[in-house]
Amino acid sequence: MESIDHISLPALAATAFSPDRSEIECEVMRFFEEFRSPLLRYSLSFGISVHDAEEVIQEVFLALFLHLRSEKSRKNLRGWLFRVAHNQVLRKRSALQHQVQVTSSDWMGAALQADPSPNPEEQLFANLRTQRLVAVLRVLPEIDQCCLRLRAEGLRYREIASVLGISLGAVSMSLTRTLGRLLRADRS
Amino acid sequence: MLNENSHLTDHELLLAADGELSAHRAKAVRTHLSACWHCHARMSELESAIVDFVRVHHQALDGELPPIGPSRAQFSARLSDLAVKPKASSVRAFFRFTGARRACAYLCYGLFAASLVLALLIGQPLRSFLFGHAPMGVGPSVEDGVEPNPELTPGATRQVSISDVCAVPHEEVVVDVPNSLREKILREYGIVEKRKGDYEIDFLIAPRLGGTEDLQNLWPEPYASPVWNARVKDELEERLHELVCSGKVNLRTAQNDISADWIGAYKKYFNADQPIRTSTQFGARRRTNLQL
Repeated sequence: MESIDHISLPALAATAFSPDRSEIECEVMRFFEEFRSPLLRYSLSFGISVHDAEEVIQEVFLALFLHLRSEKSRKNLRGWLFRVAHNQVLRKRSALQHQVQVTSSDWMGAALQADPSPNPEEQLFANLRTQRLVAVLRVLPEIDQCCLRLRAEGLRYREIASVLGISLGAVSMSLTRTLGRLLRADRS
Repeated sequence: MLNENSHLTDHELLLAADGELSAHRAKAVRTHLSACWHCHARMSELESAIVDFVRVHHQALDGELPPIGPSRAQFSARLSDLAVKPKASSVRAFFRFTGARRACAYLCYGLFAASLVLALLIGQPLRSFLFGHAPMGVGPSVEDGVEPNPELTPGATRQVSISDVCAVPHEEVVVDVPNSLREKILREYGIVEKRKGDYEIDFLIAPRLGGTEDLQNLWPEPYASPVWNARVKDELEERLHELVCSGKVNLRTAQNDISADWIGAYKKYFNADQPIRTSTQFGARRRTNLQL
């Protein structure tokens, strides 16, 4: 990433929505505000570092600017953002795997921390449920994990199909299969 | 129509919870849930599993999200830099070459054009010589099983008006095929037990275009087709739905075209010899599981 040390952050933040910006720039900034966190969360769930995920997200929104400036399709820009992020993350992860082994199990580690429930019994019960859930999630095929995470970020089935390049039926079957596994784990 | 004596499948419950059923189907599911405690309880369990997953998803990742301020400032600066750069035009880029780079570029373009002409001139005769007579025409070959057997699956429609078809946006119509029907279709096509997971039961004429949930309108579509796959067919259905609802194509014509030869219909309505977007890139990735 470029260094911005020579300019103060508040000064830069103030220019984010400055009237000097073009309409497309303002639009991209609005998209950045709305989708930066969901995209960052989705990117982090692939096990890459926060720094790498931030880099990916910035590239995604710069690509959005070029996309809009070239007057390309504006249909379902949310799905477009996730699709570009998905592909960028996979490329980034593949490049990183040549340097150091990256696994996606890291992202669920924090979920195994003690749950702040009101009393020890409830806390124990909640932790057991979380452990069972995480155990199921860790063995899911990547495609099923992606479907689930994208759905958790609010994407509709058609958007998920477009992000992952699979059919609508495959998305609904994947989610049904996964939820079935989570239910069985919870009952056991 | 749902049978009141049979329970809803997990698939139907999930589609209902996610708001992915057609209005008609959703109403039938709601009616069933209000009458059936068994399905009502399963729906609650399903929703609870969704809540648990969302909690874990956020618990695991929200703590890692850095504050937006510095990120926004950095992005804003990069965006400003990018915005002042002129749009890259391929024509302008071509003429930007100078000196040795231009000579090199001309050479490359020349070689490329020559190889293209050569391929056109000798490609087809060479294929015919090596592999026998092949049909003329450019584009990918049609893989096995991507089109249904017309004798088993000629396509079937219900009486439906344009307003019925267009009342529901195409993305809201996800229809679940009951397991019993799925089994019957797989048997008809002679698909053995161990290969069942390789197929998706797909509608030849989509419900959003008036297709019915009948043996005559359902066939096992292979997941692994690299070119003409279920996703490409989804795109065709979406295009036809738009064309029908905008009055540009007659509903009956759309139904006939997709049932006669959906790949031909794709080529016709997209004016393309091959799918505009393909999923082969992801298909390769699907085979690799995460090492969690």
